[in-house]
Amino acid sequence: MKKKILLTVEGMYCSNCCMKLEGIEDHLAGVERAEASYHKGTMTVVYDEAKVSEAAIRAEVKRLGYEVTAAQALQI
Amino acid sequence: MVNIALAFVTGLTTGGLSCLAVQGGLLASSLAGQIEKDVQAANLKQRRKKTRRNQKNPVQRTALVQPILAFLAAKLLAYTLMGFLLGAAGQMFQLSPFARAFLQIAIGIYMLGAALRLLNVHPIFRYFVFEPPAFLRRFIRQKAAQSADSLAAPVFLGLLTVFIPCGITQAMMAAALSTANLLEGAALMFAFTLGTSPVFFAVAYFATQLGARLERHFMRIVAVVMLVLGIYAIDTGLTLAGSPVSITRSINTVLAQAGSPPAGFEQMPPGPGMTGALAVDPYADDEGVITINVENTGYDPSVVQAPAEMPLRLRLVSNDVFSCSLVFVIPALNFQAFLKSTGEAWVDIPAQRAGTRMPFACSMGMYTGVIIFN
Repeated sequence: MKKKILLTVEGMYCSNCCMKLEGIEDHLAGVERAEASYHKGTMTVVYDEAKVSEAAIRAEVKRLGYEVTAAQALQI
Repeated sequence: MVNIALAFVTGLTTGGLSCLAVQGGLLASSLAGQIEKDVQAANLKQRRKKTRRNQKNPVQRTALVQPILAFLAAKLLAYTLMGFLLGAAGQMFQLSPFARAFLQIAIGIYMLGAALRLLNVHPIFRYFVFEPPAFLRRFIRQKAAQSADSLAAPVFLGLLTVFIPCGITQAMMAAALSTANLLEGAALMFAFTLGTSPVFFAVAYFATQLGARLERHFMRIVAVVMLVLGIYAIDTGLTLAGSPVSITRSINTVLAQAGSPPAGFEQMPPGPGMTGALAVDPYADDEGVITINVENTGYDPSVVQAPAEMPLRLRLVSNDVFSCSLVFVIPALNFQAFLKSTGEAWVDIPAQRAGTRMPFACSMGMYTGVIIFN
């Protein structure tokens, strides 16, 4: 099932950080869309729950060097 | 020339690090294909020879030179063209001295905001950096992945860096706009981008990955430099607007008074039919002449005493001058002119009331002076 979450991400300091985070849609199977905003310090992720979990997405964000401080489910 | 040299030094020092933080990812993407090929080739060689000689350094560094240089050359071309367009845009709008002063102050405020962003003072300062739209970021990222093998990738990505300028680059772009001259704008951006190249090349070539802590340390240095540059830009903007409240003007006035005393009105020997202690230049009809020498490091004299209640003529004399002092501005008269490197220029000054102070400066507000009417 498709899900959409809004993550509050700490550690971004420029648009290159946004591109780095958005790269998870290329290499994390199950993630369909990832859009980060440095201005707002957030990242929206649309993913297939059957292929990837929220925990896996958070872990990937952490692996890239950032910290998820909050998560909120959104309507698709 | 001074501004261009300053732009180069800014690029060489903090600009390079700031740009690397923002655009380094693009460069790494463009090199990824080459690095992967080199690692595979080295591993294959190792298996065949059954030796561990290359294990510690699998990447053939010489193969990285071409793509890095291609990336930097493309970046240089893109930003020079950007500077050309910004200078042309500034020229089209024909900014008055006050408009240029306003723009200079705006640039300074922007740089202060960008510096406070880097220091993470408050989330509101994040809006002081341009964030490219999501579709453009996706396009850049996917293009980097698709064409990782050829030299076209570094060139293409180098050109695309113009869409993700770092904070200092954005400030330089604003400065290029304020030159109001397409060649000067292009030269400014060329000098700055060229200055950033050595840092980019060195870090990319040695494949040094700055640790998160070290990167933040350098970002703090960048922030402090931007704070200083921002304060300087606001101050020179105030000077350009003719404001008596400006650090640059105060320093210049103190230095001028500590050196030779302010020049007075030219005392010419009285001609036939003239009386009184004060005479005028016989070549000016009943008008006095004030002479200011335009030099590479400013104006001499920088403090001039002149008589009030009479029209005057200001003679500007330059001799083999190549600095920004050639772009002479008197905000109160809405006067600005690009003087010849060697020559004379004349400015008519209407009668002024006693006690009036008429500041003058170069177009960037760096070199200043004042005419005091008594």
